[in-house]
Amino acid sequence: MARFLLLCAILHRDLEESAVRTTYDAIIIGAGHNGLCLAAYLARAGLDTAIIERRHEEGGGANTEDPVVSGFRFNMHANYMEFFDIMPMIEDFDLENCGLRSITAENQAGIAFSDGRPPIVLHRRDLLDKTHKSISQYSSADADLYVEIQNRIKDFGPLLGLGMYSPPFKEMDDGQAAYLEAVFGDMGITAADTAKTPKVMIDELFESPEMRTLLYRVSVEFGVGIDTANSGGMILTALPWMIGCWRLAKGGTHTLAKAMTQACYANGVDLIENTEVDRIIVEDGRAVGVVARGTEFRANKCVVTNADPKQTLIDHVGEEHLPPNWVRRAKNFRFGPSHVLATPMFCLYDAPDYKSARWDPDINKTHYTVVGYDTPEEAIRYIRDAYSGTVPEPAAGTWVNSLWDPSQAPPGRHAATGWYFFPCASELSAHEWAEVRATYNDRFLQRWGEFAPNMNRDNVIDDRLYTPDQMERKNYMWEGDFSNGEMSVDQMGMSRPWPEASSYRLYLDGLYLCGPSAWPGGGMRAAAGYNAYKVIAEDLDLPSPVKTERGY
Amino acid sequence: MTLKDTYDAIIIGAGHNGLTLGAYLARSGLDVIVLERRHEEGGGLCSEEVTQAGFVHNMHANYHTFVDMAPPVADLDVRGHGIEYVRPDVQMASIFDDGTALTIHTDMDKTLASMARFNEDDAATFARLYGEAHGFVDLLLGTLMYQPPLSVKELTKALASFGVEDRSEFLSVKLRRETINQFLDQHFKDDRIKAHLAFHGAVCAYTNDVPGLAIGYPLLVGKIDNWHICLGGSHRLAHALWRDLAQHGGVMWSDAEVTNVIVDANRAVGVRLADGIELKARKLVASTVSVEQTFLEFVDPADISEEFATDVKTKVQHKDWSLFSVHLAMSAFPEYTAAEFDPDVNRAWVVNLGIDSPAKLDRDWAEIRRGRLVEPQPNAAVNSLYDPTDAPPGFATGLLRQFAPFAVADGGEGAWDEMGRWYGQKCIDAWRRYAPNLTDDAIVDWSVFTPHDIARKLPNMVKGDWMMGEISLANMLDQRPLPELGEYRTPIEGLYMAGSTQHPHGFITFGPGYNALQVIADDIGIEKWWRQI
Repeated sequence: MARFLLLCAILHRDLEESAVRTTYDAIIIGAGHNGLCLAAYLARAGLDTAIIERRHEEGGGANTEDPVVSGFRFNMHANYMEFFDIMPMIEDFDLENCGLRSITAENQAGIAFSDGRPPIVLHRRDLLDKTHKSISQYSSADADLYVEIQNRIKDFGPLLGLGMYSPPFKEMDDGQAAYLEAVFGDMGITAADTAKTPKVMIDELFESPEMRTLLYRVSVEFGVGIDTANSGGMILTALPWMIGCWRLAKGGTHTLAKAMTQACYANGVDLIENTEVDRIIVEDGRAVGVVARGTEFRANKCVVTNADPKQTLIDHVGEEHLPPNWVRRAKNFRFGPSHVLATPMFCLYDAPDYKSARWDPDINKTHYTVVGYDTPEEAIRYIRDAYSGTVPEPAAGTWVNSLWDPSQAPPGRHAATGWYFFPCASELSAHEWAEVRATYNDRFLQRWGEFAPNMNRDNVIDDRLYTPDQMERKNYMWEGDFSNGEMSVDQMGMSRPWPEASSYRLYLDGLYLCGPSAWPGGGMRAAAGYNAYKVIAEDLDLPSPVKTERGY
Repeated sequence: MTLKDTYDAIIIGAGHNGLTLGAYLARSGLDVIVLERRHEEGGGLCSEEVTQAGFVHNMHANYHTFVDMAPPVADLDVRGHGIEYVRPDVQMASIFDDGTALTIHTDMDKTLASMARFNEDDAATFARLYGEAHGFVDLLLGTLMYQPPLSVKELTKALASFGVEDRSEFLSVKLRRETINQFLDQHFKDDRIKAHLAFHGAVCAYTNDVPGLAIGYPLLVGKIDNWHICLGGSHRLAHALWRDLAQHGGVMWSDAEVTNVIVDANRAVGVRLADGIELKARKLVASTVSVEQTFLEFVDPADISEEFATDVKTKVQHKDWSLFSVHLAMSAFPEYTAAEFDPDVNRAWVVNLGIDSPAKLDRDWAEIRRGRLVEPQPNAAVNSLYDPTDAPPGFATGLLRQFAPFAVADGGEGAWDEMGRWYGQKCIDAWRRYAPNLTDDAIVDWSVFTPHDIARKLPNMVKGDWMMGEISLANMLDQRPLPELGEYRTPIEGLYMAGSTQHPHGFITFGPGYNALQVIADDIGIEKWWRQI
């Protein structure tokens, strides 16, 4: 008896004694994949590191949920990883043994048509013959050119890696133009062509309306509007390179966040969830900690934030600690209208069966299928509508991940998702967004049925639409902007988020940026986190993560 | 990169038992991998935003009652991993159709005062029984739950030698012949007090009309004021356990569906995953999923005896009722009309609605066991009353739970897909009768989670059985889930059962994982660095 009472007493005492730690070397705000990446490197370098996350779940935009019907998983934000092969963290932290597995679909991107014309399917880079055949149905010149581009940019990866996994530098922009001229000069492409918009570049290069339509859509998927100046070069470089290697994280994109989190845990990172940061503590011009849910957390060496610089400087730091030009820059940092997306989630009995599949069954098993445009004009109108604040006529880039990864839906069933480009969250009232949520999937489904007749209500077990206003609430992706900051020329490269802040250092000593608002922007690449580590390592004299054989 | 294919210990299922066992083994120096079929660790500890962004709903486990006594909480430094528990000061309430309400507080004087308004003798009886039980509850729970099970016979002997009969009639061994209803009838007068206490048993899966379950009732009453909310959602506990595992060198893979346990010469030597990956186990494989999955799906029939296979097929007992849930995103907190009688009901975490007598509950059980849906009298939990982080400022989450059949008489479990919204609306309507302010304007969004959904999300909860095995005398202690498996060992060497199919049972107890650890430690020679119960 005495033994038991003693035991109970011991248990109670221990409970009371263990307290949550509040002092660290480094505090990172936000457990998005960039924050996780940075934390792992900092902890490995010996810094006592904590991540403070507002939500109950790590991963930020790398989230996968089954909110409609159990067992149908959906990536609410990021759906694919195009940089898997060049992401330093995967190699450096052996993420595959932390549970990260991936699938690279053979049929990468395609477009179907409502009149049952042949589809175009762009295949994995090792299957260029199939791609050539597919494009040739419309234009052998386009097919030759696309394959030629793919062949010439085969080795673009390391260069892209160097550009992305380094803080932005001047030679990078010039280098891009030089690369374009060096690789494509004999085809009449000059450095000056980088100034063009993607649309102009696509129109100049490809003659078939079908190919143009597909490429317009793919271009905007990456957050670059078809009318954005100084982005045309990517049509010859990054865009075809990425189409060759879109990957799915097996089980959902959240698996990437899980593996990263595991690497963080194994290296001793403290992940403090469910704790929203209210402000950053500034003493003598230096960021020395944060106040989160009433608790003061001290950071002896640095505070790094995944949040955007506007929230960070205006809400968390306070104008009184900043010079006027920083306040002006922060207040005028822009979100959207590019890359503002809504995610539909359809739980299906059967995968879509396209009319166009009678020409090429691969379109029924393509990772990414564009649905809703029969003409380039429709695609252009859609994109321009969305960018200018109008809910566009229904169309989408769609994914049926369960075609390639059966674990994402119950046996024999399919989980279909996609992206609608939509106006910024603030363009519509809460009531209007509720209306969109109640009606838009139906409208899209009706349109989808014109392309794939089995896509009707009878084939849908249940569905839901996740809209930009909800993304704001869930992830503080303002306006529903997946890149948390417009990827326009004046906010990219050495100007992201703005020129004075492009080194990831945010005016105050010890304060840094590591999220998608920093270079190189949104997307699953953990580059901003990696680059922030490089900069902090320089400032704090920590080991460099660069590997010679990798080049960055 | 080469995939590592050999571990000391492979654990199937990353629910709280699997993670607990994994963390202890990792802390003991073993190379551990925990494999989870879902994309998310935690099993029943899942919290999801099923209504709207920013509203965190506990899909399964909502009440944590053993956090202050489960040894792993201290051994694995769960609180050091950032878990915060809140023990609501108004724990529970029952609102009756006559407009009265009974409230259970952490302050026992307040609870007794509330009971006394119904019947002063009953309040005195409850005070006496609670007092008698309470001194022994932690002792009893500690000895019973956190070690491999004794047989009923041994237990009876132990309790007798302890002189338990002299200490409290509430702890009498004769209770093992009685139902909770009988116990309540013998001790209490007011039907409403009995109804609340019967409901309390049922909500803990100790169904009030099942013979023998009175024996577990003192333990429930002793913990009646000890329900905790895991701030930010129950899922955070899963994160904490996972973190402990990973900090000590273990790994957890999500989306790793085990399809086979590989057996060689009657010894479990590894597992195969749905995507073909094979992992080898040097020392052990532990399953925390159901008995049926483990022995009828994962293990080759040639590796177990026909007799054992038949036992698994025919003798594993599951609960004969399940739970139907409605998750709500709300812009208002419920304001009950019964607050005129007792203002504290508006602050009660869990409110039981309209069950005026055990007889009313019994009538529902009879219907539910026939596969019929009853007129809903749900219980309503509003975590946001005590957790400001589970909903955006000014908003609240709500959870309605209604006892319900797994398979509906007309249409089986599949019928739930058609009836879910309809029945959910009826549950909301029922709530509104007691809290009229919850109009459509106050409900931002809602989503249902049916018994069928339980089984689909977590197939280890066979037939929507959220306790992973019936709670009955015949399925307790070393008889749970089968006599052959009662000691966590299985007919296959190196294969252990460590989930809620085992003693003590489901709920967030940590018991099965912790107890399996004791057996595994004995078998493979791990020094027990943790405190012994």
